[in-house]
Amino acid sequence: MLTIALSKGRLAEQAIELLEKAGYDCTAAKEKSRKLILEDPSTGLRFILAKPTDVPTYVEYGAADLGVVGKDTLLEAGRQLYEVIDLGFGKCRLCVAGPKNLKDGKFDLIPNKRIATKYPNITRSYFEGIKKESVEIIKLNGSIELAPLIGLADVIVDIVESGRTLIENDLDVIETVADNISARVVVNRVSMKMKSEEIRPMIEKLKVQVDIMNKEKEQ
Amino acid sequence: MGNKFYTPDGFCDTLPEVCAFKKEAESRIRRLFGLHGYTEIETPGVEYGDIYTKTDFVPEEELYKFTDHKGRLLCARYDGTVPAARFAATVYKNESLPLRLSYIENMYRFNQSGGGKQSEFTQAGIELMGVAGSDADAEVIALAIKTIIETGIDDLQISIGQVKLFKGIINQLGINDEDAQFIYNAIESKDSVALEKVATKLGLSDDDKQTLLMLPEGQGTYDIIDAFRSRVTDLEAISALDNMKEILDVMDEYGYLKYVSVDPGLLSGADYYTGVIFKGYTYEVGFPIVSGGRYDNAVGVFGRDMECVGFSLSLSLAITAIMRQGAELETVAADAIIGYDSSVKGARAAALSMAEGMRLEGTSVILDTTFNTAEELDSYADANNISACFFIDTVEEGQN
Repeated sequence: MLTIALSKGRLAEQAIELLEKAGYDCTAAKEKSRKLILEDPSTGLRFILAKPTDVPTYVEYGAADLGVVGKDTLLEAGRQLYEVIDLGFGKCRLCVAGPKNLKDGKFDLIPNKRIATKYPNITRSYFEGIKKESVEIIKLNGSIELAPLIGLADVIVDIVESGRTLIENDLDVIETVADNISARVVVNRVSMKMKSEEIRPMIEKLKVQVDIMNKEKEQ
Repeated sequence: MGNKFYTPDGFCDTLPEVCAFKKEAESRIRRLFGLHGYTEIETPGVEYGDIYTKTDFVPEEELYKFTDHKGRLLCARYDGTVPAARFAATVYKNESLPLRLSYIENMYRFNQSGGGKQSEFTQAGIELMGVAGSDADAEVIALAIKTIIETGIDDLQISIGQVKLFKGIINQLGINDEDAQFIYNAIESKDSVALEKVATKLGLSDDDKQTLLMLPEGQGTYDIIDAFRSRVTDLEAISALDNMKEILDVMDEYGYLKYVSVDPGLLSGADYYTGVIFKGYTYEVGFPIVSGGRYDNAVGVFGRDMECVGFSLSLSLAITAIMRQGAELETVAADAIIGYDSSVKGARAAALSMAEGMRLEGTSVILDTTFNTAEELDSYADANNISACFFIDTVEEGQN
């Protein structure tokens, strides 16, 4: 039996679709219900639907063998996992964004920057580790764009997909913290060894599907 | 917040059933280590911070630190290896080699996976000091396997890696330190996507790229070693392959080949380790229960050069695994309870002599001083799973 942790929402739907294409029966996972554990003993698969930020935790502790989760969440969580496949969907980048007048070097001139973000760990390691400066981080849980507009912070660190939310709020990307953010398959380090006969073929089949998907996109 | 009359985060009480199981496992392991010629030492629970902070072996932020009355930095025991290395290089500096040392102790770490995120956990481990070579490596790995089995786990897997294989391949491909670090991280997380990207960026040939990509992918035994054989030219990498092959040969002689596999992507702790590294896994816990390898520079830091190989088993994690795998713990209770009617002259003396007699025969006996009737004693015995219950309320003539 393999336990797969999925990030509730669009990412879960896309992951299930891909698993089905790879030949895994996911009828149980598609069941419309409020159940949090969706299981079909005949297929040997058990799905748990978790909050995205919790997926790395379930997998690190081995409560789930595999998980599908965004790279942004993985970077923030900093868990010890095997990160085996880039699924290619849910693509975006992590950026520093703020008022347009901070572009062209003006951002660097702000001393003691105040930064609002859902990603305090990524933000800290970017500013301390790469930019070598200490900053004041304000942890928020949503509508991050509000913070610079209302004067809570100078800038934000957040994921940017199309950039539309930024444009509509008169904000712009100032710096890119990490590009190539997308959905990843992660595997518990012990499961990879103890259940390799089930997990390795699954990884191989998923990789084949991802290649097909990527080729379709190119065309 | 009120009084903190509970245990701190990461620390917990061990209840009688688990405690009995654990102590029993400890004595079996202690006996096993002894049978292989390893002598047990106890190092202090508190060391000067220098042994950890000046050696770079462990992450500083994971150490429990405090100061003594003179303001000097102290650390709670973080592992068994570093104190054993200090011991071997200082207290035992004139002792003839090789040394075979063992320990069963509690370790203290901030938020670390060694104990499955518990801050305090028990490790049982050995250090084989003053011997180089594959046979010594194999001795330690075989004993690690025996130790896991001794705890009661029979479904186990040992992954064997070799730090020099990675280093040798990096050297062979002429990759600089910065890129090597990136590659190291990618292999560590089996991120073949990132690995492929960096290989392309470095302009590696398809063949070399494949060699790099084989590091996180492979899992097997002799086949993995053979697959690398034709690809490596670096002497260090070749010696790493020879080392792993020789270890597998010895495992075969022990009949342990079924437990081991070669994982060339196993790198964790490569700064500390200098040769073979291995980890042991079982079902139902998400963290390795055994961790070990060769660290030939660790003792030298303390002033006496000697090769060293060892392992530690997290007994705490092993017990968690055993219980989750469905083992029933035995209830802990005395075999018998003896009570007496204190108003009867001579009853106490008779009860005492009976209890002592039974204890001499190895029966555990509670000599009760609380209950004054057979009924009360009976119900107490029932509630506490004590199978035999005796109540003395008459004393025969001549006994007093």
